[in-house]
Amino acid sequence: METLLDIRGLSVGFGTSRGRVKALRDVSFPVRKGRIVGIVGESGSGKSTVLWSILGLLAGNAKVTGGEIGFEGGDLLQLDAAGLRAARGEKISVVFQDPMTSQIPVLPYVRQMADILYRRKGMSAKDKRDKAVDMLRRVGIPDPETRIDAYPHEFSGGMRQRAGIAMSMLTGPNLLLADEPTTALDVTMEAQIIGLMRQLQSEFDTTIVVVSHNLGLIAELCDDVVVLYAGEVVETGAVRDIFHNARHPYTRALLECDPARIEDVSRKLPVIAGDIPDLTGALAGCIYAGRCQRAMPDCHALAPPVVHRGSGIARCHLLEGPLADPDWPPPMEVPTVPREAGTPVPARPRTVQPPLLEVRDLNVRFQTMGPVRARLNGVKDPFVDAVLDVSLSVRPGETVGLVGESGSGKTTLGRAILNLLKIDRGSVHFDGRETSAMAERQFKPLRRDMAMMFQDPIGSLSPRKSVRALITEPLTIHGISGVDIDAEAERLADMVRLPHAFLARYPHELSGGQARRVGVARALALNPRLIIADEPTAGLDVSVQGEILNLMADLQAEHGLSYLVITHNLPVVRHIADRIAIMYLGRIVENGPTADIFANPAHPYTRALVEGVPKPDPDRRRPEAAAIGGEVPSLIRRPPGCDFAARCPFVQDACRTAKPPHVQITPDHGHACLFPLKQANQTTETT
Amino acid sequence: MDVRRETARRERRDKLMRFLTNWQGMTGLVLVILFIASAVFAPWIAPYDPNAMNIPARMSPPGWDHFAGTDQLGRDTFSRILHGGRIALMIAAIGVSASLVIGLALGMVAGYGPRWLDNLLLMIFDAVRSFPTIILALATVALTGPSLGVVLAIVIITTIPSYARVARTATLALRNTEFILAERALGASTLRIMWHHVMPNVMGPLLILAAMEVPVVVTIEAGLSFLGLGVRPPQASWGTILNEGYLVIRDAPWMVVAGGIPLILTTLGFTFLGEALRDIFDPRMGRGR
Repeated sequence: METLLDIRGLSVGFGTSRGRVKALRDVSFPVRKGRIVGIVGESGSGKSTVLWSILGLLAGNAKVTGGEIGFEGGDLLQLDAAGLRAARGEKISVVFQDPMTSQIPVLPYVRQMADILYRRKGMSAKDKRDKAVDMLRRVGIPDPETRIDAYPHEFSGGMRQRAGIAMSMLTGPNLLLADEPTTALDVTMEAQIIGLMRQLQSEFDTTIVVVSHNLGLIAELCDDVVVLYAGEVVETGAVRDIFHNARHPYTRALLECDPARIEDVSRKLPVIAGDIPDLTGALAGCIYAGRCQRAMPDCHALAPPVVHRGSGIARCHLLEGPLADPDWPPPMEVPTVPREAGTPVPARPRTVQPPLLEVRDLNVRFQTMGPVRARLNGVKDPFVDAVLDVSLSVRPGETVGLVGESGSGKTTLGRAILNLLKIDRGSVHFDGRETSAMAERQFKPLRRDMAMMFQDPIGSLSPRKSVRALITEPLTIHGISGVDIDAEAERLADMVRLPHAFLARYPHELSGGQARRVGVARALALNPRLIIADEPTAGLDVSVQGEILNLMADLQAEHGLSYLVITHNLPVVRHIADRIAIMYLGRIVENGPTADIFANPAHPYTRALVEGVPKPDPDRRRPEAAAIGGEVPSLIRRPPGCDFAARCPFVQDACRTAKPPHVQITPDHGHACLFPLKQANQTTETT
Repeated sequence: MDVRRETARRERRDKLMRFLTNWQGMTGLVLVILFIASAVFAPWIAPYDPNAMNIPARMSPPGWDHFAGTDQLGRDTFSRILHGGRIALMIAAIGVSASLVIGLALGMVAGYGPRWLDNLLLMIFDAVRSFPTIILALATVALTGPSLGVVLAIVIITTIPSYARVARTATLALRNTEFILAERALGASTLRIMWHHVMPNVMGPLLILAAMEVPVVVTIEAGLSFLGLGVRPPQASWGTILNEGYLVIRDAPWMVVAGGIPLILTTLGFTFLGEALRDIFDPRMGRGR
């Protein structure tokens, strides 16, 4: 098959105050015409640097120190500015990660798309418009003739990404680069975008290079895979070879650490210990040796051989040469990454204890306009219901997962429980006491028992405070006297396994995983009984997210903590939660024991979510039709009937008229659907 | 293990190096030090008593006896400039720090407090800013009579809004960040959040603004003294030296020149220093230049 893009020996360095960071070293891989190639790697692996090298759009302090990028018979690295400009957009185009920031907010799409065609001098404005409308229709934007005059802010997130793909395909490029195209999107949108990209690829016969850290996306979308680690290609191959017969220990470890691939439910997830090495110093031997589960003494000194196989290469001593191990790689079922001998599933006795946290019929409303404006515009009720009639309970020592897409109100609910937002109706009981009506002064003592971990690990730490000050701050705030603050700081650091040297650092000097540990330490400082964790693994690499979840599980076992975990990440929640509540548009549509929810979802939305997660297995790709269409509607236009009716594949007329009541199938398992997928034998109405 | 701590230290050292190799910053720093030192040590450096009259040597041109000549009363202009610098320094130090503190406090209250308070404070800031400084000073002096205290008060009142505005904008940007929410979730009081978590993050740009405001303040003082609204004769100030020189500019032009040079140098010094600091510490500015 013809090679469209051929990267050979690419080396890129970044000049920094610490010296030259060798971000890419001798990166070589071909991209064959008409294939979808996935570049996968954790943060710091240099996957985006490869992308920007192809386009010649590296940062000012970057320097290409060697190699070539062959494209259509020439070398992209040798092109002058005019030559690069001619290639960009016309022959090579990009889909960006965040459509919000990569589209011009002050111009309508028609103008932005016509501007992309600026080189076509012969085309009239009308032809350009027609071409743009046609492209928007092909990416699945309804009613493109009128929507093309809209501005980016008038589109929803998924629509915007569709428009972004339309813009990149407009010139009919030979090569399409996609930088984490679904990371900013929800699960159901992700499935739609994957389907769209595959469909466009076959329609236009474009070659696509996708950069992602998401193994599920890579498995569903790609034909070939390149695995990058710390700026080196460690393995390449066809997607099935990579996922079923990974030969490099790093690839193996990545696959084994992905919670979506771990079938047995377990509180302990495997992790890759250690950090990416410092790329400024002299590098010798195998770059992965420092973290490798199978490292041998010689690995640190000798450069690994490049071992070929049918569909790619792998760089490892285990495969060839004097250090080769004939038993490597073991079959996929045999784990190679050491896993803490965790109890598989702690069979928790069905406690009859009263719940620690009980939320009943909670409502949170946000005002959309002032009373005067509402009166002028004739709006009777200028509010939206961000949280609507939510009931939820957390028992002592239990982990409850609150799952939903963006805009489902899950974060709002978490904040309302902590009295950070005003509650409109309903009640919150903590340890038997009604807390929703309390003034801050009454509530403050309760904050010792309820802690929160915020979504952004670094952004939730005050930037000008040292780690020591940050983790002891809860003690100061609550006036805990009679303890040695320094000793306390060290005790907490030990508890979250943070080396003491870090106590003197500032948040911007921490990595995501370390900052998350500080967040956990802050939450633990006052020995709380309940921790509300908002996306505890967001923004963390696969290998690090296991560490944080294991830490949370250990602390729970030790201190009998209860967790309310707010997340959109179903594969993770499946491993850590005892019970799950699924939220859609501010309403809980289903709740029940984790295993039950995954095995027998009652609500169609739950099923769409469970099936919507891309499987990190190329043999289990879903048919395109499986993805539910549409998007989460705006809260302002909440449908009168079931909120999910517009997207539901099983919708019936009755769904559109009234909100379905909450129904219990079993004492534990409830849903809000008129025509549930799982009919209970003993359906009992409770509302 | 300590790679990152090392990098933090190196980053700091790197910033210092960038400052030391920045010609603008270094020129500014030297001028500022010169200004402060000359003012502080004026009684020891000055060759003459600034108010000692020497009628026979009146209006003498610059020479070995008098570096910058003498005025119409025979007072040594160089000594008067040095002593005038003391007034300028005092006004600058007190005026800038007082308006910085008040502006910071008001700005944070406006940014963090309720909407109505924000609107009220903004209205007051705008009202103060809309007053022409000199007219305000003229009106005040007409009521109270000229004095250094009035100059100081005028300087403080008219510069508060610029600090408050910057502090308010920075606070507004901070108030909805996750770390402020995290502090609230911990139960931190509003006062604690403002003092420990908002102020350190607002302070940086404000200090740079203060460095740039110093020459403005010095000029206001000189301007008011020039108009006879500031310090009273015979006390020396750069403004009064200019004023006296202006009266005899046809016979002794060097007095105006000698009175103007320190003003120019101080303005240049603080502006250069402020710009260099901003380029280095404010990452949003000066990138890609």
